Amino acid sequence: MKQSEAASQGHSLFTATGITKSFGLNSVLKGIDISVGEGEVLALIGGNGAGKSTLMKIIMGMYQPDEGSIFVAGERIHACKPGVSLAKGIYMVPQEPMLFPNMTVEENIIMGFHEKPAKLRKRLKEIMNEINWDLDIFRKAMSLSIAEQQLVEILRGLMRQARVLILDEPTSALTFDEVESLFKIVEDLKKKGIGIIYITHRLTEVFQIATHVAIMRDGVITLKGKISEFTRDMLVKGLLPPDCEEAKNQENKEIDYTGLKPAFELIHFSGYGFWDINLKIYPGEILGVAGLVGAGRTEMALTVFGRDRTISGQALLEGEDVTGLSTRAILKAGINYVPEDRRLNGLFTISDVAANVTSSLVTGKTMGRIFINKKVEYEIARRYVEGFRIRITGLDQLSGSLSGGNQQKIVIGRSLATGPKLVILDEPTRGIDAAARKDVYGIIHKLKKQGVAVMLISSDMEEIVELSDRAVVVYRGRIRGELKKREITQAGLMAASFGVGEGKQVEI
Amino acid sequence: MKISFSPRLKQVWKKWEFVLTLIILLEIIIFALKNSKFLMPRVLFGSMNDIISICIISLFVTFVMITGGIDIQAGSIVGLSSIILGVAWQDFGFNIWSASCLAMVAAGVCGGISGFFIAYCGVQPMVVTLGGSFLYTGIGLLVSKLSATESYKGIGGFPEGFLRLSKYRLFGIIPFQVIIFLILAVLAYILLHKTRYGREVFLVGVNQNAAEYSGINTRLIIMSTYVLSAVSASVAGIILTSYLGTAKSDIGATLTLPIITAVVLGGTLSTGGKGSVPGTALAAVAIGTLRFGLPLCFKVSQQYLDIPVGILLLVIIIGRALLNRPGLRVKTVIRGRIPHK
Amino acid sequence: MRKILKSREINSFLFLAGLIFLVGLINPSFWKPVTIINCFNDSVVFTFLSAGIAFVILTGEIDVSIGAVLGLSAAVGATLLRDGYGVATALFAAVFIGTVVGVINGIGVAVLNIPSLIFTLGVNGVVRGIIYVYTKGAWVENLPADFTLMSNRFLTKNVTLFYGAAVLVVIIGHVILTRTRKGKYFVAVGDNSAGAALVGIPANKIKILAYVLCGIFSSVAGMIYASRIGFITPTAGNGYEMKAIAACVLGGLSLTGGVGSLAGASIGAVIMSSISRILVFLGFSSDYDNTITGFLLLTIVVINTSAQNHTVRKNRHEILLARTAQKGGEKT
Repeated sequence: MKQSEAASQGHSLFTATGITKSFGLNSVLKGIDISVGEGEVLALIGGNGAGKSTLMKIIMGMYQPDEGSIFVAGERIHACKPGVSLAKGIYMVPQEPMLFPNMTVEENIIMGFHEKPAKLRKRLKEIMNEINWDLDIFRKAMSLSIAEQQLVEILRGLMRQARVLILDEPTSALTFDEVESLFKIVEDLKKKGIGIIYITHRLTEVFQIATHVAIMRDGVITLKGKISEFTRDMLVKGLLPPDCEEAKNQENKEIDYTGLKPAFELIHFSGYGFWDINLKIYPGEILGVAGLVGAGRTEMALTVFGRDRTISGQALLEGEDVTGLSTRAILKAGINYVPEDRRLNGLFTISDVAANVTSSLVTGKTMGRIFINKKVEYEIARRYVEGFRIRITGLDQLSGSLSGGNQQKIVIGRSLATGPKLVILDEPTRGIDAAARKDVYGIIHKLKKQGVAVMLISSDMEEIVELSDRAVVVYRGRIRGELKKREITQAGLMAASFGVGEGKQVEI
Repeated sequence: MKISFSPRLKQVWKKWEFVLTLIILLEIIIFALKNSKFLMPRVLFGSMNDIISICIISLFVTFVMITGGIDIQAGSIVGLSSIILGVAWQDFGFNIWSASCLAMVAAGVCGGISGFFIAYCGVQPMVVTLGGSFLYTGIGLLVSKLSATESYKGIGGFPEGFLRLSKYRLFGIIPFQVIIFLILAVLAYILLHKTRYGREVFLVGVNQNAAEYSGINTRLIIMSTYVLSAVSASVAGIILTSYLGTAKSDIGATLTLPIITAVVLGGTLSTGGKGSVPGTALAAVAIGTLRFGLPLCFKVSQQYLDIPVGILLLVIIIGRALLNRPGLRVKTVIRGRIPHK
Repeated sequence: MRKILKSREINSFLFLAGLIFLVGLINPSFWKPVTIINCFNDSVVFTFLSAGIAFVILTGEIDVSIGAVLGLSAAVGATLLRDGYGVATALFAAVFIGTVVGVINGIGVAVLNIPSLIFTLGVNGVVRGIIYVYTKGAWVENLPADFTLMSNRFLTKNVTLFYGAAVLVVIIGHVILTRTRKGKYFVAVGDNSAGAALVGIPANKIKILAYVLCGIFSSVAGMIYASRIGFITPTAGNGYEMKAIAACVLGGLSLTGGVGSLAGASIGAVIMSSISRILVFLGFSSDYDNTITGFLLLTIVVINTSAQNHTVRKNRHEILLARTAQKGGEKT
């Protein structure tokens, strides 16, 4: 602790002031100031969409800031392309390491340098000795675990004589032991006087290794300072919007659960990325599944949807076992899923709106046995286009040319076209504007009235509070607390999502 | 809310097909002005014989390319089918029509094997069909060894009925092959643009993930397109055998380039998801007209014809690349920075 | 499996050695040094072609115009020789052709971002046509004897001058690609092009360079072809591109890029061009040539790809499982 205090009194290694950035009308960063001194670890915390990754891309020179300037060791740098930031000693270890899988560790590290290999090799050995790392440098990158790959990335940074290291959620894919060894490394780096920006979702880690903390929300830093000045609850508060009390569930009726049979049930459901999940969803109920991206919620939904293997446990739809069925069979049984990544998994961008809305009906006979009945297709498509107020010039408009909100409504429309008993909505309002968001909420409420069971996966706590009849929080693949309607608060959800508390105790 | 039925998507398509039609018309006008013999129906239709295989196969290779794949083995399957037909008929006593069916089934199996490797093992289509082109050419040669006839001579002496497949002319003018091509074109059009299967082919090509999420068995669909293109290659092989009067194992060796050219020229996106049967058919006819008209009217030697076809292909793909990325500057790209959209 | 993947060119070499051994077991007359070395000598054209296209394949692209480049270079070089120009002039002209086509291919693929198969297919058509225009469809014959005799010059007792040159070039190329800083860029671009950009490798420049090298190698192959055959038909080199690609795959290169080496490609070329000779020694007719090539090719890529996909899936699952792992110290 002493050391870092001493360092912070010294000169600042890295400073960014007044950084702003907007994409089109969407302003992502609204004036960011951060600085890191020698031997400091600045923990940068923020929910999904807070603008952290945009900020990092600006620091690395992949994006150009609209305003603001960046200083390294007092010298202003014009980071307009990646090379400049690298040369000035800033190195980012990406969340998913970008190694050359078919090359050895050594080749990976010294790739892109201009010195002689023998010299580089010597330096690499020195660095590895200095910080006491043991890694067989002749192994292929393909055979490394994620933790080891991150080590390689950090070594890459050190070889470049990086004075500022950015670690982007380095622990998200690590086991507990690996996290411990990573922390040791961070301590070593601290002692060497390297400044570290540590991006994370896990509040517990912040108190373990950070010297300073900054919280980002909606493109601004809401809170920053020495870690010793903060408590966990203060950090949680900083993560929440100031008007957080306003978010209220519009319908105040509680569902009367007596005599209701669950529409969908998971029993000790385990798979890749989630473990021992138990939950029930009733007809006409919206179950909020809160947590952070990467907590395992999407993996759980995808496994239910037949996209990955179940390890153990059961999924029951209206009492019938639907575990391990193919996606086609699951759709037929009455479950549909609205994917999180619209572009990657949801939208047929160069197909027209009608084909998009009806794509999950193609395998069935609704639109005709052999031939596609255009009339039926257009009727179904029109039903959702009109019902959801999707703004298009015609049913034959290409869906890729629509706004995010309209695209999302199309994908939701598709999932409803199969007449499901359970709809899993994964981040249904991510990246869409306020008006479209309202429409999507309207659709969800309508579904609820029709008696459809809704699983709402969202990292937007406000959304969970506003819509859910009940909520569970998933943290690192496990359910961490279940909340009844009146117990759901943003603060509670946020705390549990960051691994603090069970979701209800936190007072703010 | 009003929904206008202004078919924007179709308009875009019509646009490209319109351009192709214009190209064909332009070709015809220029060629006809230069040499009036060009317009004689008998000459015009007679020219179809040389390009009919390309026309037929490219129709179904369109399916493959819409799923994002590629098929460079079709040419070898033409030869394989031809020789299977000949050997089965001459040396194994098959009836000529059942020999034809056998050839088609064998071709389907070959396409299925390649398709399986591509769809279920995840091997690149280019590599599999490259291997396939060696394998099926080789098997064709081996099959020809089963025959009493020397393989370089080819098997001939087919019955009249079979030869009529290519000699018969409707109304004394239109060759029967042309009719087969038209029938197949209509079939392909209906299959691709009107049926559930065709819709699935498109959806798989646009976004395979999203298609999986819609419950479509994307692997089966991908595999099936290779079966289709192989069977069409075998139909082309049968017709070619009838036209030439001999069955040989290497009659399809030079077809790969023109087939891919026809499909790409027809507006099919090589990354998949976009394409149309009319486009391919028109492009095939445009290429055919070019290959036929240039020698007849401008005394361009047959062998030079790869140049105009190659240039046509290059111009089209470069033009599309430039149109799609207006901000492209050579310097920035060479420096290793890929402009994002 | 990992070990097998690790040293693919060694595997190809062992495969070739095993093949020679087995054939010798069945027919001992194959085991004469002359016969075996002739397998190598005869592969010289494909050694150059495969080594050339290996540059392109390592970066993850493909070039199907090399057969036509071989044909055009051979035709132009042979014509110059016939008309009394020296070998150096002819070679220079050939290499110039290879370079020009390489630059065009490189720009089309790297700058215009057109799928390499489609683009080089178009270039293939144009170059193939130019051969006909240039030769007016006729054969180029009557090459000077001192040029055609070059293919019979021996470096040592059994190794021809040309194969010696090929080995030298492949070794130099191999060392550059595997030992030098910039040489490794080729493999890096094919291995992970996004990652390559991140460490400051100019991916597009490398791709263009790969196409140029490929063009040059193909044109040199063309000159050797001219010397060995003694006359050039307009269809010279037709289909060689497919055989060269097949040779690369047999030599352990992955068409997705980033895996393999020039040495591997040249061993693949030997395997590829020895198959018909080996068949003869086994008492089969060489008609099995294509069948066996195709079969080997398919078997190798299917096994490799399946193993690779399996590893990827396994790794993903391991990462996901790690996220849910719980141990002590989870207290909050």
